[in-house]
Amino acid sequence: MKAIEVTNLKKSFGAFQAVRDASFMADSGEVLGLLGPNGAGKSTTISMLSGLLMPTGGDASIMGHSVTKDPEAAKKSLGVVPQDVALYPDLSARENLVFWGKMYGLRGAGLSSRVDEVLEIIGLTDRQKDHVGRFSGGMKRRVNIGAALLHKPDVVIMDEPTVGIDPQSRRHILDNVKELNQQGMTVLYTTHYMEEAAELSHHIAIMDKGRVIAYGTHDALIKMIGEQTRIDLTLNAEAEKVLDAWRAIEGVAGIDATDGKVTALVDDSNRVLPRLFDAASKANVRITSVGIQEPNLETVFLHLTGRALRD
Amino acid sequence: MIFDLALKDLLQMVRDKRSLLFIVAMPIIFTLFMGFAYRGGSQNDAEADHRIPLALVDPQPDSRLSKMLFTRLDSSDSIRIVPMNEDEAMNAFRKGEVAGVLVIPAGFSEQAEAGKAAQLNLIAEASSSEGQSLYQLLRVPISQLMSAVEVARLSADVQSNPDEYIPSVELAWSKWNENSKISLVRVEQAVAKGSESDWTGGNPYNQASPGILVQFAIFGLTTSAQILVQERKTRTLQRLMTTVMRPWEIVAGHLLAMFGLVFLQTVILVVFGQFALGVDYLREPLGTLLVSVALGLWVASMGLLIGVFARTDDQVILYSMVAMFLFSALGGTWFPLEAAGGAFAAIGRAMPSAWAMTGYQDILIRGLGLDSVWLAAGCLLLYALGFFGLAVWRFKELEV
Ligand SMILES: Nc1ncnc2c1ncn2[C@@H]1O[C@H](COP(=O)(O)OP(=O)(O)OP(=O)(O)O)[C@@H](O)[C@H]1O
Ligand SMILES: [Mg+2]
Repeated sequence: MKAIEVTNLKKSFGAFQAVRDASFMADSGEVLGLLGPNGAGKSTTISMLSGLLMPTGGDASIMGHSVTKDPEAAKKSLGVVPQDVALYPDLSARENLVFWGKMYGLRGAGLSSRVDEVLEIIGLTDRQKDHVGRFSGGMKRRVNIGAALLHKPDVVIMDEPTVGIDPQSRRHILDNVKELNQQGMTVLYTTHYMEEAAELSHHIAIMDKGRVIAYGTHDALIKMIGEQTRIDLTLNAEAEKVLDAWRAIEGVAGIDATDGKVTALVDDSNRVLPRLFDAASKANVRITSVGIQEPNLETVFLHLTGRALRD
Repeated sequence: MIFDLALKDLLQMVRDKRSLLFIVAMPIIFTLFMGFAYRGGSQNDAEADHRIPLALVDPQPDSRLSKMLFTRLDSSDSIRIVPMNEDEAMNAFRKGEVAGVLVIPAGFSEQAEAGKAAQLNLIAEASSSEGQSLYQLLRVPISQLMSAVEVARLSADVQSNPDEYIPSVELAWSKWNENSKISLVRVEQAVAKGSESDWTGGNPYNQASPGILVQFAIFGLTTSAQILVQERKTRTLQRLMTTVMRPWEIVAGHLLAMFGLVFLQTVILVVFGQFALGVDYLREPLGTLLVSVALGLWVASMGLLIGVFARTDDQVILYSMVAMFLFSALGGTWFPLEAAGGAFAAIGRAMPSAWAMTGYQDILIRGLGLDSVWLAAGCLLLYALGFFGLAVWRFKELEV
């Protein structure tokens, strides 16, 4: 049995298709990274997995329980960390955790000791009496995660848990995910940071415009694009002046320009790089910096979509 | 878990110090204030002179019949005699300072006692109710006076002794006075009852206490409905939906919290009314409990409704205020609907707040029992059900 299984999941809002035929799965005890840019349909997919939205088509299951046919059983096995911090600001961290524990049916001494454990995990034992409203963004996010762990779910879904926080809290959260996973929890980790997906995930599903455009282990995904290398360039002029010329060069698999930065995906940097310089001087454009990067998930995304992951 | 959700809501409400002010302190202050206002009002009423002012024009006030008539009229509870000369009297009449002018013509006494036709003139607005009353009120004593004169003249004639006239007329008049007092007093009391009856049943707080109670029960919604709006804004409602709580349990939990708050507030105000203000809620404890529970359920379902419709805290306050003013003013929590009358009272009487007032006042003022309270409580519960249905329908439509 798969811990998470998503088959041909669809969701439309009116005429707009936010999720189109998404399929992926996670084995019990693994971290599955769901990587995609803004608006890819990650949160919409998660909403269907957590029973907030009814799919327009397809199905998904958590620990073998279909989210459309047996949502209550699916919810019991699932902890959800929403993208936006969803806590009561006028209650303390501990009161919040106790409340959410009760909402999963925990009671009494068992609840209290579990709250202690979770406070330890998220590193807020000292601050448990303070109102969540007075916490920093990073601390709020940690409580936000803690609230999903109380009932020791088999599967935890985290929707961009590190957005907009300080590096220290971010590190803490990433370590938490690894720790929970080592204890046997299956984690679906949603992010648009490819480094996070690379560091944490056993398998990665890349989403774009509602579709899962790639699925596999980190290494398998990198291999998919062969020996391609990423070249980052900055110019002293508009990229448009030279972009078409570069695109025509043999060995350039993809090229994208945003904010004066050009990212090119090439088969063999040794062969292609001189040609890029040639074309630039013909177009009267000076290259002011060059960076060569070994293939990574960013490169994969660029390869698949012709666009950079971060926009 | 429903209970846990309700407890969480209540904890949040209690955390909000302003809410305590609204829920307990303000209603108590308002009750006292309104009670003073009503009491002041009814005291003024008692002191005010409700007798109909009548100008008396009498050029010979010392004549026997004049004196007799004056004494009789002056002792009346219904007429206030103001002696004037003719010009003054007509002036006062035109200005509306007096409701009528009674003119006793010169030589009236002598002529009447001599058996000649003599007439008094009443100048009054025949179409006004005061004019009508004056005529009715004067007709009796004047005809009695004339008949006393007739009787005394007859008696003197029969005995052929003119000296008998004076004792006879006085005797006859005094008989009339004794007899008429009984009937007159009865009439006057009937008039008096209409204007001076005490609709508060002797204690002005019988209106103020339940009135403020109902009004502030609605006002308390600002706090409890805000909890629900916050829950939507902070997306904790959405998170609740990902737990094993079913949607109906979430609705029920919030309803329970709102009911708890309103009911607690009601209990505090009932206890305060009973022991501090002598408003006898406990005359029929089960009846009071029944009305209070029904009131709480109605108000709570209205809170739920506001909570699912409002988008911001400000909107919650706005909706609660509108609800409070609408239901308070129309439902007779500020003044009894009987005092308003007409279409206003008819519409008002249908309001749930009016049913709550009816329920409480059946117990407090009208002294009715449990069976009469059932109707009011039943109507409140129907309203509660309607509001609740609307709230649940809207809750399902909410964007999650
Ligand atoms: N309730 C809705 N009604 C209409 N459109 C919606 C709704 N929810 C999401 N969308 C649209 O669906 C698309 C996918 O949104 P979604 O929130 O799933 O993206 P995401 O991958 O989570 O992005 P982000 O990284 O910004 O969180 C977006 O274009 C969004 O505007
Ligand atoms: Mg999202």
